[in-house]
Amino acid sequence: MKNINKILFVFLIAILSGCNDAIDIRQVGRLDAANAFRDVDDLRSGLLAVYDQIDVTPEHALSANFTDEIAIGFDSGGQGFALYDFVLNAASTAAFDFWVRGFRANHRATVLIEAAQVITPDAGDLADYNNILAQAHFLRAYANFELTLYFSPDPSDDSTLAVPRIDFIAGLDIQPRRNTTGEMFEYINSDLQTAMSLSNVQSDATFVSMDAINALRARIALTRGDYTTANSLATNLLNSYGLANRTQYVNMFLDSDNTEIIWKLERTLNDNYDGQGATGSVSAGGWAGARYAFVNATLSGSPYFEMDRSVFDLLDPADIRYDVNVAPTSVISGDYTNDPDPINNDILVIQKYPGSEGRPLMNDLKIFRSSEMLLIAAEARVRGSSDLAGAAGLIDQLRDARFGSDQAAPTYNSVQEALQGILLERKIELCYEGHRYKDLKRVGTAAGVGIDRDPIACNLQSGACTLPANDFRFTLPIPIVEINANPGIADEQNPGY
Amino acid sequence: MKLKLTWLLTLFMAFVMQFSFAQEKTVTGTVSTASDGLPLPGANVIVKGTTRGAQTDFDGKFTIRVTVGEVMVFSYVGMKDTEVVVGASNTYTVQLELDNALEEVVVVGYNTATKEESKVAQVRISSETIENRPNASFVQTLSGQVAGLNITTSSGQPGGNSLVQLRGVASINGNTEPLFIIDGAPVDEDNFRSLNPQDIASIDVLKDAGATAIYGNRGANGVIVIKTRQGSYEQGLRVNYAGFVAWNTLQDNDYNAMSSQQLLRFERDFVGNGAGAGNSSGVFNPGAGSPMTDAQIAAAPNFSWTDFFFRTGVTQSHTVSLSSGSSKATQFTSFGFQDTEGILQDSDLKRFNIRSNVTGKSANDKFNYGTNLTINYSKSNEPNSIGSGAINRNYVLGAYISVPYITPDDYTTGADLLSPLSFTNTPLFLLDRLRTYTRFEEEVKIVGSANFSYKITDWVTANVTMAGDYQSESLTRAEGPESFNAILFGGAENPTSGFQQQFSTRAFSYNQVTSLNFNKSFGKHTFDLGLYTEYFKAHFRQFGYFANGLNPATFSPGDGSGLVPQAGGLFNDEASAEILNAGLFSYFAAFDYDFDKRYGFGATVRRDASYRFAGSNRWATFWSVSGRWNIDNEAFMEDSAFDTLKLRASYGTAGNQDIVGGGLFSAPDLTEDFFNTASGYGNLPAIGVAQFGNRSLQWETVAQLNVGLDFGVWQNRLRGAFDVYERQTTELFQSTPLSAVTGVTQQNANTGELFNRGFDVQLNYDIFRGDDFNMTVGVVANYNKTELQDIPNPEGEIVGLGRNGGIFGEYFTLRYAGVNPANGNLLYYTANGDVTENPDADGDRVWLDKNIIPEWNGSFNLDVDYKGFFLTTQWNYVIGVDRFDNDYADLIDPSATGQFNLSSDLFRAWQQPGDMTDIPSLTASNLFSFGDSDRFLRDASFLRLRFASIGYNFPAKSLEGTGFENVRVFVNGENVLTFSEWRGFDPETRSNGSRVYPTPRTISVGFELGF
Repeated sequence: MKNINKILFVFLIAILSGCNDAIDIRQVGRLDAANAFRDVDDLRSGLLAVYDQIDVTPEHALSANFTDEIAIGFDSGGQGFALYDFVLNAASTAAFDFWVRGFRANHRATVLIEAAQVITPDAGDLADYNNILAQAHFLRAYANFELTLYFSPDPSDDSTLAVPRIDFIAGLDIQPRRNTTGEMFEYINSDLQTAMSLSNVQSDATFVSMDAINALRARIALTRGDYTTANSLATNLLNSYGLANRTQYVNMFLDSDNTEIIWKLERTLNDNYDGQGATGSVSAGGWAGARYAFVNATLSGSPYFEMDRSVFDLLDPADIRYDVNVAPTSVISGDYTNDPDPINNDILVIQKYPGSEGRPLMNDLKIFRSSEMLLIAAEARVRGSSDLAGAAGLIDQLRDARFGSDQAAPTYNSVQEALQGILLERKIELCYEGHRYKDLKRVGTAAGVGIDRDPIACNLQSGACTLPANDFRFTLPIPIVEINANPGIADEQNPGY
Repeated sequence: MKLKLTWLLTLFMAFVMQFSFAQEKTVTGTVSTASDGLPLPGANVIVKGTTRGAQTDFDGKFTIRVTVGEVMVFSYVGMKDTEVVVGASNTYTVQLELDNALEEVVVVGYNTATKEESKVAQVRISSETIENRPNASFVQTLSGQVAGLNITTSSGQPGGNSLVQLRGVASINGNTEPLFIIDGAPVDEDNFRSLNPQDIASIDVLKDAGATAIYGNRGANGVIVIKTRQGSYEQGLRVNYAGFVAWNTLQDNDYNAMSSQQLLRFERDFVGNGAGAGNSSGVFNPGAGSPMTDAQIAAAPNFSWTDFFFRTGVTQSHTVSLSSGSSKATQFTSFGFQDTEGILQDSDLKRFNIRSNVTGKSANDKFNYGTNLTINYSKSNEPNSIGSGAINRNYVLGAYISVPYITPDDYTTGADLLSPLSFTNTPLFLLDRLRTYTRFEEEVKIVGSANFSYKITDWVTANVTMAGDYQSESLTRAEGPESFNAILFGGAENPTSGFQQQFSTRAFSYNQVTSLNFNKSFGKHTFDLGLYTEYFKAHFRQFGYFANGLNPATFSPGDGSGLVPQAGGLFNDEASAEILNAGLFSYFAAFDYDFDKRYGFGATVRRDASYRFAGSNRWATFWSVSGRWNIDNEAFMEDSAFDTLKLRASYGTAGNQDIVGGGLFSAPDLTEDFFNTASGYGNLPAIGVAQFGNRSLQWETVAQLNVGLDFGVWQNRLRGAFDVYERQTTELFQSTPLSAVTGVTQQNANTGELFNRGFDVQLNYDIFRGDDFNMTVGVVANYNKTELQDIPNPEGEIVGLGRNGGIFGEYFTLRYAGVNPANGNLLYYTANGDVTENPDADGDRVWLDKNIIPEWNGSFNLDVDYKGFFLTTQWNYVIGVDRFDNDYADLIDPSATGQFNLSSDLFRAWQQPGDMTDIPSLTASNLFSFGDSDRFLRDASFLRLRFASIGYNFPAKSLEGTGFENVRVFVNGENVLTFSEWRGFDPETRSNGSRVYPTPRTISVGFELGF
């Protein structure tokens, strides 16, 4: 029996000593919430993570693939076929991506804003602290504006349903309903007001400054039909930045000139977007140029999307925008309309994103340029005060800059004609920058313009050539992924879906 | 003292012998079997206590000199010894009965029991059905051998991982594979490539809760206990050699891929795109402008890229083992070498194994010990990107859809392929990759264990088992600087592109079980009690680098001389390292009671703690009860035909702590909120949200009810087992959708239930039983059906998972209805069953009641031996698997014309109104509009001659004087023949992916020598 006692003793020892080191394990290298943000430097690091949530390549992809900016490329591997055929529903990547990405950015910005509340900066850090908060509020406003723009059937009508307004850190069991567009703009405007009051930087190409805040305000004002504000904000910005000359314009798309840049998202080697991303998908991410080609912006770069002829035909070879957008390696059919083999004899390679820093296809993402401000001002003048001549003057100013010589000023005989003219100018000035879808939604119906692809290219594919701007698909559906978690919101699905 | 006594006794006996007046006489007799009365030749007759003996002749007759009162002992292998006292009679007829005492001892939990006393559902596989099979991993060999054990090997990579599932799928996201224990060491269930199957002595598969509950947090998916070979006490040195050579080839397909001539004609006449139409940018007939003529097409080369990227892989395997034993120690040592070439280019496995198993005991037999140690090294070339759509990386894609009019002669350099960059040149991109890309893994795996036991009294034993599993893997891969891929992505500014990556992981786990076992009998009552603690700790270390930029002058894969220093962010090098630790601690007890070998009862209980749930629910309790009734031992069964009849039942719970299915170290602290420091905007360091903690995290619980019957009738000619079960998984760790406004769209949480219900049948029947000729047929079957409940959303259904009351992983898609004869467009069913060309891609999807998990699986077996010849066949079947044939979808996609090869089925495409065909018009307006439908969903059930073996054992007589004890030669085949509606290369693959690496057909020839 003595032996047994000994062994039982050993057992006890084993239980008492062995247990804890095997089950009380703290993994190394973890940063818990309590230690994440302790000072202004931490907040600055946090802000860089919030910035990293902002991406516009999904906008580029949706706009190009769904509207009339691209045609299916000769080297297509099947990318984007469904969206090209106007297939858009609650299960589509577009709905998923815009919804989830927008709310993720909103959440991350809110986490940072709340973390900042418990930090009291030293006097020396105060300016920094304020500027960080200003940017966080701006980025949150930007994300919520995008959400409202894409999910509200009419962002100019306060009574329409937009998206849930989440100005707090939501508990995991939340099942929110949609707020109205009006409520969303209260939220957005309040963020922008805070941003403006805290910001102490007038201008910065790659970080948010007061100019960027005003640029967003101008864009919002145009969307909301507040044409006076849109015109004045846009005109002021246009005046302070001016338009790029032809060389500056070319360099802007090589990321070596910022004359026209009010704000752009920097994309650099080895950052989280340095890669192809999801090619042919609205999820995108990755290099801006990989939305159209796999490898580089030349004929041999495997372009799965090509420039739609409807864009190409608007580009005058004397216009610097021709040089910027059309790759010199493109194969251009002499007689396109009668060409027996347009797939192989007319290959229009998109070159807007040739690459930078030695990396093909990787370019900074231009968010606000002064030429957009010019176009906002023009549209606001037409719609706000029927100032057709004023609009024509602005368009002429833009063309003169792009051609590098005095061009004949357009004449617009009606509001609709003017709007059509402005839309055409937008189509080539802002092509592949993610504007076309939003432009058609905003002003397409007023201008009598819809998606209008080159008939040869689209008929070769599937016959999906035109779509009026009042189609329900210019508003994204609430995605399935949200409905799964939040079934009540299904009752508030957008019309048409 | 003892010695003295023996001497005294001997003296005494001699005395007796000397002084008795013995009456010696000669008796004769016949020995036969009690069962059928047939004479038994070769039976031994020995006079007890003497060296006098005789053997029965061919007619079972014997003659022996005895004296009255002596005892004759009749013995025969497999029969009970029978003793007869010599009396007045001079003739004796003796019937020998089958010996049921020669009982198999099987593993039940941490203990063993005789088969008769076992109360659990358990199947033992012996070494005979494992050895000499050409599969690099022994797990593949288990396929079809155990009812309820489904083994699916989805990759032909030598030593590649197999999916092992026992009685269905009990988890959605967690681990679904059993716990593997080798000689007491729990080991990584996904990696057996380095271990030598020839060392295995037995494999016990524990299926029900009665057996697995005692494994607690790790027992939910069953347990597979592997024992390796040992020497025997009092055994002379035995040397054994086994070797074989195997040839691996690609299995067949029915895709009807086009020849060059067909493809060029199709390009020219049907689509007007590609080399045949004269507008290709590929290397063959580039941009000729005018379509090819019939004569040009006839003259085009016709090359099989399938035969290029796939090859006949040769395997050779050699194992030498030495075993011996003295009265107090035994040893088993083996050396193995295997070299397996995969059927895919650049895939292979070479390994070297050494094993040493030692056992021993003290002079008084109270102390027993054993050590097992195996050290293994393997190196395998494993191409990656298999299964992907990367035309420049996936060799399998190149094998399946490369155009046949391009040949390897068209290849010059990688740089030449850049312009024009054409999809059509796919096989050349891959050919370039074969020449310039290297990827291999090296592994050292050491599994060692030691066990000690001491008998404190005759009814108390103390045991300790210590075991370690060490695994060190190192991955090297490099893309040469002059390769097509390097130049393609490098660009002019990055001329010496290419990369090299090296990555090393080490994992060590230590397991110790300490126990005290009590065993005592009182009359017909036997009690067993075991008290245990188990301690488990594991450590993971990883580091590696990824270096961009290689200098072609000095580059060699794996060597660092060619690495280019970082320049302006272009040749950025990345370093990585990771440390993870894991641990478990448990204490548990097992109680067993037996009454008269007729009734048995068992119970186990285990308290279990896992490091994973330290922040939420650390401790768990698992338990089981089991019982048996040995009906055959009842008095009323005395004269029945049943030799074995045992009813078993068990119920209990086991846990699954590997809730994300990533192995020991995955998801170590999901209960916590984390931020991380990583690259952010502009590649500047940032602090971001990394993880939302789940504060109520816990293990998944599987409760299992099992009722089984073991039986053997007619001298066990017909024998088998039948088990019915229900496994209920609760607290499933699964994705629970969250509103995106929380910043995430889902969090995995413990919710919902999954049922697996079914039965196992294992039946064998000896059609012929004799000395020279034996024939046994067998059936192994499992039926299993899954059912989901409490799906975490109000609709009770989640696409991709299933619906309440439905099967797990049920498909939810549009239903394809065929081709519209009027216009060649695709037709679909609406949700209501109407036919339309424009279904609602979302709303018209329906649940199909089909999934990829088998309903039936098992095998039919035949074993024949005649004299020394033997034949074994094993036909495996799997029923109820539905898979998407995406490889076929690739081959009938007309938009790939000019870029890839196609199926000649396309010639049947709809062309004019009225055409009735299964292939839509090549220009159908909705050809690409609705990607997700069941158009390519196919039944992948199959019947396959999984294994066939034919061979010859040289009879002992013919080996006399040669020095050999046994010689065996054999020819084996694996995956010899398959019947299936599946058109692809391998119906077995458990995935809906495409362009994957199919398992091969293998024929091997080998021999075994024993000295």
